[in-house]
Amino acid sequence: MRAGPSLALCALLAVHGGAAAAAERAPVPGGEFTPVVAPGKDVKRVAVAAFALDRRPVTNAEFLAFVRERPAWRKGAAPALLADGQYLRHWAGPAELGAGAGPEQPVTHVSWFAARAYCAAAGGRLPTWYEWEYVAAADETRADARQDPAFRERILAWYALPSGRPLPPVGKTPANVYGVQDLHGVIWEWVEDFGGLMVSGDSRTQGDPDKLQFCGAGALSAEIRDDYPILMRIALLSSLEANFTTANLGFRCAYGAPP
Amino acid sequence: MRIAMRPALALGVALAAALAGAAEPAHVHEHEHATPAPAPLPGGSLYQLGVALDAAGGSSLALDSLRGGPVVVTMFYSSCTTVCPMLTLAMQHIAAGLEPAERERVRFLMVSLDAARDTPARLAEFAAEHHLPQPPFLVAHAAAADVRTLAAALGIRYRQLPDGSFSHSSLITLLDRDGVATARTQVLAAEDPGFVASVRAQLR
Repeated sequence: MRAGPSLALCALLAVHGGAAAAAERAPVPGGEFTPVVAPGKDVKRVAVAAFALDRRPVTNAEFLAFVRERPAWRKGAAPALLADGQYLRHWAGPAELGAGAGPEQPVTHVSWFAARAYCAAAGGRLPTWYEWEYVAAADETRADARQDPAFRERILAWYALPSGRPLPPVGKTPANVYGVQDLHGVIWEWVEDFGGLMVSGDSRTQGDPDKLQFCGAGALSAEIRDDYPILMRIALLSSLEANFTTANLGFRCAYGAPP
Repeated sequence: MRIAMRPALALGVALAAALAGAAEPAHVHEHEHATPAPAPLPGGSLYQLGVALDAAGGSSLALDSLRGGPVVVTMFYSSCTTVCPMLTLAMQHIAAGLEPAERERVRFLMVSLDAARDTPARLAEFAAEHHLPQPPFLVAHAAAADVRTLAAALGIRYRQLPDGSFSHSSLITLLDRDGVATARTQVLAAEDPGFVASVRAQLR
């Protein structure tokens, strides 16, 4: 590639994903927590290294800026392998939001590949599941509010809302202790390792139906079986393929060395 | 981060690099001023991913350099003692189900999930231990991000466990000459004549 245009675009990308956006990223100190699904036999705790996470999900306006710079990711241009036929279906055009996609609403109808490409262009990556779950365990004052029934009730109330309602704009839910918003109550979010969660309903009742299909420890069993919000999220993520897009599935980016 | 600026130029390759959003394959630059662009890849082709491989023994190649013939691909890791030996055996069964002249036109690609420990040198030992002649076998390492990309495109689910082993789906996929998945099998314990027939059909 020639230096001129590449440099110009690098500069654009730097503005798009660099210093201007840094304030929108919440630093998350490292720590240890007990994920809802135990990572392995006799291992309950997981260490999460310090990283940074977008305070809010990526919006339609932000994703529009991305596809303007990366025409290969426009609606109608991305190949079927990387994004299914519903990719950005609520947008009016390849580089136009229209009435069905508010600029401040979280972008949805995006595939894992598209989300990953966006985060790479912004100098980041998708968070891992453990990073996401670690941050999502916090409420406004505590790093781990999961044992508080009120915290769980508030999250469950979102699940009770009928789907098909318009998505709220980002940044309207209370910031948690890290300054991160919208982890619950707005959308589902892609994570880097969505395909590895592999908990199945079968692990509660049956022997090991996946013995042949899965090498190693096979289907994992859930550690905290009454944490329905997280179990529902794991079940949803486990059911996805990387080119799937849905009306309620978006993403946010993480920054820092991948674990 | 670079952008595919000139559409006329090796469109398929540049597009793949732009879409992958990660490191561009080295040959994008090598072929920049070279000959005409190859025919565009079908929308379902895995050769759009821009995945780079390090073959057992050490040589590097782009996944899309396998374009032109059928590829039987799976993902495994060399220290696996449970299902992976069966997966290796299943690959060997498929190869053995073909005539020698057919076999040499197919690549049997085994990409390790264990980017950290399965170095090309380790994989060369593995290939020797398991009698996997290269070619037609191609046992390969890929960088962690490329492992994730390839597994996602193949629909292979995996997770590293605290003891360093992996839990993963055991899936063998047939790619046609343009890298589109055309057949899959999870039959490990026995031969799968239907899958072998699918490979053979790609050679016609």
